[in-house]
Amino acid sequence: MPVPAYTFLLLSGALFTMGAIGFLVRRNPLVVFMCIELMLNAVNLAFAAISRYLNSLDGVVFAFLVITVAAAEVVVGIAIIVQVYRAGRQMDVDGLDLMKE
Amino acid sequence: MVVGFAIVAAWELVTAAGVIAFRRPIYNALALVGNMLGLAVLFLMLNAQFLFAAQVIVYAGAVMVLFVFIIALMNPVSDVTLGPARGGEWIYGIVFGVIFAALLGVLLVNQGLTGRSGPSTPEVINAVGNVQSVGTALYTTFLFPVEVTSVLLLIAAVGAVYLAMRRIR
Repeated sequence: MPVPAYTFLLLSGALFTMGAIGFLVRRNPLVVFMCIELMLNAVNLAFAAISRYLNSLDGVVFAFLVITVAAAEVVVGIAIIVQVYRAGRQMDVDGLDLMKE
Repeated sequence: MVVGFAIVAAWELVTAAGVIAFRRPIYNALALVGNMLGLAVLFLMLNAQFLFAAQVIVYAGAVMVLFVFIIALMNPVSDVTLGPARGGEWIYGIVFGVIFAALLGVLLVNQGLTGRSGPSTPEVINAVGNVQSVGTALYTTFLFPVEVTSVLLLIAAVGAVYLAMRRIR
C-alpha cells in the first residue's frame, strides 16, 4: 500500500476542521447543516482508513452506522428548519434566540 | 495510487472550501455533492466497496436531494432575512482552525498506527466478498447496534411525519 495511513487521517482532519469552521462562521441554518454533514463525512473517512490499515471490519461497520444516523438526523433537522422558517421566515441562526431568556 | 490519492484529496479540499465559502446555498449543496462523491472514491481506494455504495446512495442520492429540494422550496435568496454581520463568529472560526491545525501537526509528527492488527486483510475480505463480510459482521457481532439504529430510524420517520402534520392541522 503506497499511500501511508496518516495521509488519510490528515485529509480527514482537514475536512473536519473545515466543517467545524464553517459551522462556526456561517449563519444560514441549511449551510450549518451541510457543515455538520462535512464533519460526519470526515469521521467516516477516518473510520474507513483505520479499518483498512488495521485489517479490521469494525471501522466499516461504524461508518455505516454513522451514515444511517446522519440520514435520520438530516430528516428531523430539516423538518425543524422548515417549521422555523414557516413560523418566522427567518434564516439566521443568530436571530433564533427566542429560547434564550 | 499516490497520484490518484493526491488528485482526490485536492478535490476534497477544494469542494469543502466551496461548502464553506459560496454565498448561495444551492452552490454550497452542489459543492457538498462533489465532496461526497470524492469521498466515495476514497472509500473505493480503501477497499470498502460497501461503504462506497452506501455513500453514493444514501448521501449523494437521498440526503443531498433532500437538501436541494428544501433549498428550491424555500428559495432562500429572495426573501431571507439575515441580520447584520457582527464579525464575532470569524474569531471563533479562526481560533478553532488554529487549534485543529496544531492537532494535525501532532499527527504529522506521530505517524504510526498503534492498534492491534485484525484478521480481515484485503485478501480475506475479497475472497468472501466485501458486502458478504460486512453483512456478516453487521448481523453477528454488531446485531444490537443495528437493531438500535433501526429503532432510531423509525423514531426519525415518525418525528418527521409529526412535524409535517402540525402544519396541515
